[in-house]
Parts: sequence; C-alpha cells; structure tokens
Amino acid sequence: MTALAAGRPLADERVPIEETYIQGDFAPRFTPPAPGTYELPAIQRVGSFLVLEGSRTLRTQTLLAGKIGVVSFVYTACSETLGCPLASEAMRQIQSHVAHEGLRERVVLLSVSFDDVLDHASRLEAYAQRFGADRSLWHVVRAPSARSLQAMLASFGQDRTRLYDDHGRFTGRYRHTLKVFLVDQRGAVRNIYSTGFLVPRLVINDIKTVLNERGEEGR
Amino acid sequence: MNSRRWSLPLTAAVLVALSVLGRGPASADETCQSPFLPKVTGQEDYIYVWTLGVAGVADGNDSLVTIDARPGSSTYGQIINRTSVRGRHEAHHAGFTDDRRQLWAGGLDDSYIFVFDVASNPAKPRLLKTITSFVKDTGGLVGPHTFYALPGRMLISALSNATDGSGRTGLAEYSNDGKFIRTIWMPKEAPYGYDVRVNVNLNRMLTSSFAGKKNYMRPFGDLVKDPEAMKAFGDSVIVWDFHARKPLQILRVPGAPLELRWALQPNHYYAFTATALTHQLVLIYLKEDGTWATKNIADIGENIPVDISLAPDDSKVYVNSFMDGTLRVYDVSNPFEGKLIEQVKLGEMANMVSESWDGKRIYATNSLLSRWDKPGDYWLKAYAWEGGKLVPKFTTSFAAVGRAHIMNFGTAAPIVARGANQVAQRTRPR
Repeated sequence: MTALAAGRPLADERVPIEETYIQGDFAPRFTPPAPGTYELPAIQRVGSFLVLEGSRTLRTQTLLAGKIGVVSFVYTACSETLGCPLASEAMRQIQSHVAHEGLRERVVLLSVSFDDVLDHASRLEAYAQRFGADRSLWHVVRAPSARSLQAMLASFGQDRTRLYDDHGRFTGRYRHTLKVFLVDQRGAVRNIYSTGFLVPRLVINDIKTVLNERGEEGR
Repeated sequence: MNSRRWSLPLTAAVLVALSVLGRGPASADETCQSPFLPKVTGQEDYIYVWTLGVAGVADGNDSLVTIDARPGSSTYGQIINRTSVRGRHEAHHAGFTDDRRQLWAGGLDDSYIFVFDVASNPAKPRLLKTITSFVKDTGGLVGPHTFYALPGRMLISALSNATDGSGRTGLAEYSNDGKFIRTIWMPKEAPYGYDVRVNVNLNRMLTSSFAGKKNYMRPFGDLVKDPEAMKAFGDSVIVWDFHARKPLQILRVPGAPLELRWALQPNHYYAFTATALTHQLVLIYLKEDGTWATKNIADIGENIPVDISLAPDDSKVYVNSFMDGTLRVYDVSNPFEGKLIEQVKLGEMANMVSESWDGKRIYATNSLLSRWDKPGDYWLKAYAWEGGKLVPKFTTSFAAVGRAHIMNFGTAAPIVARGANQVAQRTRPR
C-alpha cells in the first residue's frame, strides 16, 4: 500500500473549498442485480487489528471470523450529510435487512471511529444507541492507539486528514472520503461503497453473492 | 442482446436517506469526471496536461505538464512544471483516483501506466510508480485509454489486444495501490472499446468504440488510403449493468463513437457522444420501455469530431474537430436537437476540450496521436463563455515541452468536507 493510497496527511494544506459530488442528485433508481448473478473479485486484503468496544479489547479477525464484515470508518462529530451520518444510516438499514433475512450468524457490522481525540467509549456508546446498533451484530469501536488506528486506515485505504483553522488550531473535523468496505471470510475486500453507491439493498445482495460462492455454502 | 428493465424498487427510507446527497442543480465541475470523485467547486488552480514527448524537444520524453490557471497569478497561463517520465509511450489519457490524490496516465503504445502523486505538492506532481505489466496482468489488453475512478480502484478501458492488434479489447480494474483486479472483455458482437462512463443513479455504464493498435499507431496518411483498415473501426455503444459489469444492450452507432458524456441534471436519463468518421453528434437516451436508443442530433461536418464536453446544466455541448481545428458549441437544451450557436477556429488539429468547474471557462489542446498529428504548433488555449460567445483568454505554447493532449483540473487546496468553506482551514501532518 502506498502512502497516498493510505491517505497519509499532506503538509500545509489550505482548504477553503467545499466538497460535493459531480452528479449532484443521488437518488438510486435501479434494481440491484440479483445475488449470485455477478462476481465480486478481491480488491485488496486487510489485516487484523485490536479494537476497543467500551472497555473490551477485541481483535477484528476474531470479530469477523468466518463472517462477512461490513466495515465503516466514521467519527461521531461528523456533521456532513454526505459523510458519516449517511454511512451510519446505511449501516442501520443493513443491520435491519441482515436481521430480517436470516443472516445474523453470517454477517457482522463494524463501525470504527477515526477520531482518536474525542471519540471515547461514552461517545461511541451514545452514537451506537442513536443509530440503534444491535450489539450482537453491529460493533461500534475505536482503536487502542493512534498508531494502531493509522495502521488500520492504511490497511483499508481509508483517507483521514485533520482540519486546522488559520491559527493552527484543530477544528475537530476531518477530511475523509466516505467508504464502506465489504470484507469476506478470509479478510479480502470484495467491494467498496462510497457516497454514490451506498445502497443497502445492493450491499445485502453483495453479501449473499459472496456467501453463495462455491465452497462457501455451509460454512 | 436483450435489455433489462429497471424499476423503482427502493424503499422510501433508502430514498430519503440518499436524497440528502442532492445539491440541486449541479453548479459546476469537470463535467466528464467520475461521479465517484469528490467535486470541487470554484476556480481551478492548475491544469495538468498529459503531454506527448517529441524527439528533440526538451528531453524528448512524455511528461505531465502543469499550467497555472489562476487569474492574477504572475505565471497565469504559463507552464510552471513539467514532470517527465522516461521514454515516449504515446501519452494520451489520464484520470484521478477517487480521493483525487493520484493521477493515472496511460501510454497507448507500450501500455505503460504512470501513477502521479498530485496531492503532496499539487503544482508539481511526482511520479509515484510505473505499472509496466498491464498487458500481462489483463491477459492481453493493449492501449489503456480512459482512467475512471471507482471507490478504491480504477476502471480502465483499453483500445486493443496483444494477439492481433485489432480493436477487440476490454476493461480492466486495478486497486488504487496498483494491484490488478480483473479484466472484462467486450462482447463478441461489439468487441471495440474506447471510453467508459458510469451513471450511478441508474446503475448503467456506457462504453464506446474506436480502433485497434494497428490502426491508431499507423501513420494517418497511410491509414486513410487503406479501405480494409478503414473498416476496422468500432460502430457501437454498449449499455452495461454497471454493478454486475454485464452488457445489456448494444447500440449501433456507426463511425467510431468516441467520448461519452452523461447528462448531469436530475431526471436527465441520457448521454452524448460524437462519431469521428461519420461526424455526428449523437444522443443516447432511455426510452419509456426501459431500453436505450440513439438519435443523431447534429451533423458536425466532415471534420473528424474528437472530444466533447457537456455544460453542467446540460444546456450545451462543446465539440472539437480535428480536421478543421474548430471548437463548436451546440445548444442541446432540447437533447433531441442540437443547434449550432457558436464556433471559433482554434488552429490545426484541435483535439481535447474541457469545461471548467463552474461552466465559465473552456480549455482546448491540439494533439491527437503521434502518427496522426501534422507538424505544427502545439498549444493549450483558454476561452471564457461570456454572453453566449467564446472569448479568448490565453494561449500556452507547448513548443518547448511536446504535444498537449488530455487536461485534468487541479486545485492547490485539497478537497475537504462539506461546509469547510465556513472557515478558512489548514491541514497539517498528524
């Protein structure tokens, strides 16, 4: 993974402009293709990392073992409608689909905070409650250290850059591209969803597609 | 091949959740870019020009040239950097990754891909890596053309193949860190490739068609005298299920349909292309029965139209034509009828045309392919769209660096989260 792909921060970036997306109106008007009618080749592999859920230390490899993981990187102070709130709303809907379609034992949702300044256990707890996270299915976690967080972001290719004001003060906000990762049972990323394509029904079909691959039945 | 119908099955909740992404009418941007790219509103600072190397000019290598586009700058309209790569590779097209931190640029001759860092110092891109294994990775694709950002990866359309150098080709995907993911060959009934563009709202992808390496690397004068070779050009646009990467419908569009431009406004379910050999501006539109159709909406004249650019409000298409070196502007506010409303003579071999982020500025270059270009002056020309006219702003000579082809717009300030313009902000290393 290159430093750039890992989203390593840049020196002295002035950022007086706003981000939006080129096709301004995102209102999906399509039926996602049926599960199993298409392929999702591995895009990249991701490592295993220690994360904290409340006071518990967990290893992502253990959390995801034998399951399809839907992994989102967020921070609780994010106020962009195009960003973390959208990702977490999508996760809430994916959780609902997973529960209703009998996939609970085969899927795990993981929201990882990349705000290592403010997102302590209590804030993440409140965040999880706000979005109705079912703790047996959806884990809202943080990294145990800045170094660990950096390694995780680099492994997934999730960019994150702190934003400072003209006086050099941290604004509490981050530059980041919304990405949600579909990780298979062996730690391979099989799809990446960003703002334009984060459609819960499509994510569910992708989960079923991976689960239905030859050799995956009965796992 | 049958087309599939699409419908409106999504739950209201999903639509509500996703409709917050809408910004109303698109104000401005590089209208041809991937919808997966963050959009930057405002004056572009730099124009990155992927530039064909010419023997005896500078070091003779292909290069990524930076032009200062900031009005008021002491170097406005001038070349302020040239990042050279080793050798000449038939520099042609280039595109940003989804985080806009890298610019991938291709060589049509040896299929090398050059990955530039445009984030660390936006004025001075740095070559990060060179992918030399495209042909081997992809199982024989040749001539990486369009570089189109998908989340975490690049979708690349090719022009040819290593077996016979014909136009039979396909699409390739690479992760942002340069690892090959997969190859998707074009269907046998429509084997050619050229451009690729995605409409995320419809889950539809379009590909267009050009010619193989034995045509595009052949001297133009020889090529046009060879009737058999002139038959070996693409005649189709393919409609794909984007997510499944599966072709749904083949549209016959004779005469090498090249650049594809999706309409940008809500509820505009259409795209445009222009055919190089039959010189038509073509509308590609969704019919009520869910299938797609085409209509020729303007005859551009026997001038080999090449690049097109669509205004952000879908009102105008800018068309550059190679033979007469002219930039034409068509009113397509009624997309079924293109009306010529303005034209300017740019100079010989006009080629690429790109509209600025706010729809106010238009840039053009004039190199097509090393063996198709004629001896002459090479340049980038900037115009403003003012009062319904193209008004010249500056001309940048490429005499000292090579031949200018594709343009991508850059910013000195990297993109940030929405709302960041409320307060001037600065980022610094963690």
